[in-house]
Amino acid sequence: MFARLVGESFIRNPHRKLLTAAALAAGMAVTTACLMMALDVGDRLAREFRSLGANLLVTSQSDTLALEIGGVDYRPVDEGAYLKEADLGKLKTIFWRHNIIGFTPFLDVPVQVHLDPSLTPTSVLASSVTPAVMPSTLVGTWYEHAVPVPDGTKFETGLRLTHPWWAIRGRWFSDGAHECVVGAALAKSFPGGISPGATLRVQLANGGSPAAAQEIPLLVTGIVTTGDVGDNSIVAPLALAQELSGHPGQFRQLFVSALTKPEDAFSQRNPATMSQKEFDRWFCSPYISSIGHQIQQMLPDTEARPIRRVAETEGRVLSRVSSLLWLVTLAALIGAGLAVAATAATTVLDRRSEVGLMKALGAPNSLVAGIFLAEQVLLAWIGGAVGFLVGAVLARLLGEKIFGTAAELRPVLFPVVLTIAALVAVVGSLIPLRHATHFDPAAILRGE
Amino acid sequence: MFGRLLLGLVRGSRGRLLVALVALTSAGAVLSVLANIDLDVEKKLTQQFRTLGANLVIAPARASQSGPLGGVLDAGGTSAAEEASGAASPELMSESIANELERNRAPEIAALSPYLYVVARAHRDRPVVVVGAWLDQMPRLNPSWKVEGNWVERRDDVARCLIGRDVARNFQLPAGGEVTLSWQGRSANLTVAGIVEAGGAEDSQIFVNLPVAQTLIAQPGEIELVQLSVTGTEKQMAAITAGLAATHGNLEVRPIRQIAQAEGQLLGRIRLLILLMVLLILVLTLLCLLATMAALAIERRADVGLMKALGGSISRIVAIFLAEAGLLGAAGGVAGYVLGFGLTYWMGRQVFHASVSPRWEVFPFTVAVMIAAALAGAYPLRWLGKVKPAEILRGE
Repeated sequence: MFARLVGESFIRNPHRKLLTAAALAAGMAVTTACLMMALDVGDRLAREFRSLGANLLVTSQSDTLALEIGGVDYRPVDEGAYLKEADLGKLKTIFWRHNIIGFTPFLDVPVQVHLDPSLTPTSVLASSVTPAVMPSTLVGTWYEHAVPVPDGTKFETGLRLTHPWWAIRGRWFSDGAHECVVGAALAKSFPGGISPGATLRVQLANGGSPAAAQEIPLLVTGIVTTGDVGDNSIVAPLALAQELSGHPGQFRQLFVSALTKPEDAFSQRNPATMSQKEFDRWFCSPYISSIGHQIQQMLPDTEARPIRRVAETEGRVLSRVSSLLWLVTLAALIGAGLAVAATAATTVLDRRSEVGLMKALGAPNSLVAGIFLAEQVLLAWIGGAVGFLVGAVLARLLGEKIFGTAAELRPVLFPVVLTIAALVAVVGSLIPLRHATHFDPAAILRGE
Repeated sequence: MFGRLLLGLVRGSRGRLLVALVALTSAGAVLSVLANIDLDVEKKLTQQFRTLGANLVIAPARASQSGPLGGVLDAGGTSAAEEASGAASPELMSESIANELERNRAPEIAALSPYLYVVARAHRDRPVVVVGAWLDQMPRLNPSWKVEGNWVERRDDVARCLIGRDVARNFQLPAGGEVTLSWQGRSANLTVAGIVEAGGAEDSQIFVNLPVAQTLIAQPGEIELVQLSVTGTEKQMAAITAGLAATHGNLEVRPIRQIAQAEGQLLGRIRLLILLMVLLILVLTLLCLLATMAALAIERRADVGLMKALGGSISRIVAIFLAEAGLLGAAGGVAGYVLGFGLTYWMGRQVFHASVSPRWEVFPFTVAVMIAAALAGAYPLRWLGKVKPAEILRGE
């Protein structure tokens, strides 16, 4: 009987039902889209934040004090401790290996550099300029380099991933070739300037080692603008810097770019004071401190520390934006609730005579309310299902528009959205229903 | 008569109108909160981004590559640390530039400090980078630094310094310890106020107030560069950079690319994200409003029938109902704005831990949109022209 009443109501008055379902679908579509964005935004923005570059710096623990000014380390090459290049593949074997987006080793070598007129095409050679010997720093690093990982695969990494703001005019050096790129400020300061195509000769600056005598010719493939250390340096493949400085297979600093979870009160605690359970939880969360800890375990005798200004900013902005999005999602929910409440109210008012008839025939208030609520919930599920689909499409479109890649479809949200829809529909109908159950059947049936 | 009719209508169906008013007020509140946030989010986020530290550098336009000031070599030093001796000293500029910037500080400049780098010797003759700066500006210029101990609050405090945590570890210096810096026979005694953890080059530097560094190398009034932390969008930044470059012709003003570029890119994404979501919600809210107003209009059928039966012209009747809808819209808009004002303030506290300043221009906007939506919702009234009084009064 109950089911028949509800069913009949749908068949007899499809228009009214369509309106309510449409309102619900619109509300749920916006809610679904907002929910999906809010859930996704952390991951996506964290990825976007990698445009800030590395957020972890790995150095040797037993190192002497760095003499770094403006990004250039002025320590002599034979001072201080080095890290082993061969160990780097191990970074992709830590627990959070998939969160390691990229890493780049750096080896700074002080050099004397001069233009080689005999190897430089006349088209790029400034005429009537006496070649000058300039002091500079050769930064040995990778632009794109395949690192063998212990599991047999290769991992492509380098400056491209950890220093994405380094802008090149010309092209980057190829790994292993006798090529280099020159910082914009250095290129300008050469008498006559340097353009891609020129050849430089570099020599280790006033070192005492026999390798110092060796001069290496380097083809300039591009001019790099970095706004930091690179502007006054020569950037060349790591292998060249190792050869020049007499430190094969070694480097000084490692920049790691990792996807992390914003720091919270828990992550700021000292891991040494945690209980075993807490430590496990900390270890298995991608906090920057736990990723650093895992890197230290993998590369013995090193120290991995967060680059605070990057890590802090990322955490702050991320948490602000995601709480903002949650509030916006809440606003969407309120909007959806309003829409449903408005349509529900009109439905009930519109069907006053029906309510009057039911009551006149002896239906208790609970039955009248039950029928209306059952209808609303049914409508909520239909509207919610449609809304979920539309919202998923919407979230995809938004994700593509904002971040370039579509948002992940989360089927888990489907029951959540249906529940929210039913809740909103029931709550939205409660007030008009209270009115309806207080109708005096006689007055209504009389048409008043 | 018109006024009386209107008043009567409003009084007659208070319950129904209250529902519509609540809907209009909530919609107005949502609208004004979202508009406020959308207008303010960029400003608030650029402030968040200032934890990144300085994003502009002013330095002499360099003619040549340079090493650290005075080289790593000191007067009696015959150690291997001579590699930079071939380098020319960096060009210096006058401290007055920093003072002048400080005096006429634009509101966009969050913090600024001159810098002078010296490689001095400390603690058993080991070389260390000493940075002369305005230490009172450091907390604002480098909000991400974690300091164990105290900051140095005054820029004329020549007895205290901050040290990087690698320096602290290497020299075994606790906060409160004493350090002696020497450079070519001159020396300075300092107390360690705090230990800085930054996760970069700063960890292996010693920060002293500018006069200490200037006296140490006998270069009074000279600095190497000025770092500024500027809030603002990419466009504002470009304007400030251009302005600074114009007034300091012989100097080079360069943005720190890592920060400037990433910040612009991220801000753009976040702004777009919020804007699109806000638009979605606005559409939804307006739709809901239309539905409410339309329902109200349909409710009014009986009234229309009566008025027509009494001989009212249809245009006059519609005018009355439109006036009613407009009144509702205006009331909802004003109430919504007031509610939104409070909500915006609360949200600003929750999200940014600072008050989002609600904008006045949002007020006319909210009221106008609400009136427009209410009138649009009353659009179905047009059909009232077809209403046959007899039918309605019969109750059909």
